[in-house]
Amino acid sequence: METKNLIPIEQFCSFYKIETTFIDSLESFGLVEVIVVDNNPYFPEDQLAAVERMRRLHYELAINLEGVDAINFLLQRIEHLNQELMYVKNRLGLFE
Amino acid sequence: MEYIDYYKVLGISKTASEGDIKEAYRKLVRKYHPDLNPNDKDAERKFKEVNEANEVLSDPEKRKKYDKHGKDWQHADEIENAQKQRQSQSRRNPGNQNNSSEFSGDFSDFFESMFGGDMGSSRSRQSKFKGQDINAELQLNLEDVYESQKQTLTVNGKNIRLTIPAGVENGQTIRIAGHGNPGANGGPNGDLYLTFSIAEHPKFKRDGSNLYATVNVDLYTALLGGEILVDTFDGQVKLKVAPETQSGVKAKLKGKGFPVYKQEKKFGDLYLTYQVQLPKNLTAQEKVLFTELAKLRKNGN
Repeated sequence: METKNLIPIEQFCSFYKIETTFIDSLESFGLVEVIVVDNNPYFPEDQLAAVERMRRLHYELAINLEGVDAINFLLQRIEHLNQELMYVKNRLGLFE
Repeated sequence: MEYIDYYKVLGISKTASEGDIKEAYRKLVRKYHPDLNPNDKDAERKFKEVNEANEVLSDPEKRKKYDKHGKDWQHADEIENAQKQRQSQSRRNPGNQNNSSEFSGDFSDFFESMFGGDMGSSRSRQSKFKGQDINAELQLNLEDVYESQKQTLTVNGKNIRLTIPAGVENGQTIRIAGHGNPGANGGPNGDLYLTFSIAEHPKFKRDGSNLYATVNVDLYTALLGGEILVDTFDGQVKLKVAPETQSGVKAKLKGKGFPVYKQEKKFGDLYLTYQVQLPKNLTAQEKVLFTELAKLRKNGN
């Protein structure tokens, strides 16, 4: 399998000096998708920004993983609501 | 330069213990962290203030200096001497100056006057920081996003070449990783968040990938049927008008709308609303004939 769009978990964790168990925990919460290629674990590149954000929440703000999970959910809802707002604003433009 | 009361920023008293400072900092940094307040400039500003206050008050030496000269810092000989000393150090070692200037933008002028642009040893002990994200707006016309196109943008003095995908929405934000401000202590660069502001088109209204337009049809074509030429986004098309077409009737041109975002060669539909145009400045003969038509219709009904 091609690993071009995958981030090696070892490399990510060593860059930020964190334990790889952090990514395992995120996976157990369903917050990241771990893909194993040739016995090496990776996560998709498009999840990098989210994983980096969760790392900051956990290590810089000392928020436990249950809190990170809840924040993640709420941020997704905000994002969804923002998109809906954008859609509604654009629809409103049709009638102006 | 405005004096900043770091105790006030953290909401603590001057007698606060190290533990109180830590607790107040943690509480406020959570409240204003950019990850928890996306695209909130006010929270971003407060987050910087809280970090700056913590940088000073959590370091006993800096706190002592701040407590001593805080309000009268402009007149403190000690500060001037420290600045002179620092300047001579940076002349001897210009490399250090370059490193520190990367991060100096995160602190107020007040902080830099007191403690310099160099964050000192306490900063270097801290973990890597991702650079600040940049939010920018790109104004485009509807035509600009009908096809994917490459554009070079200048953001913060840097040229960024990017492809604007066809079908991007008004108000949509895309993230361009690594094109924000530089990271600190070897941390990664921030990201660039680019929001598209797409101007209204004089002819076409857009709803997602569907387009809406009004077409004028002359009275005779509307009554008797015929063909008209209508504008679409990729040129004119011939359209059959059914006899006795009323004003407000809609026609759908499948696949003649706007490209669907990130779905190559997939297009929405174009919805046309017929607007029947009545003739103006009737001649005497036309008036006679229309009167006759009116009588016919009256008698017929």
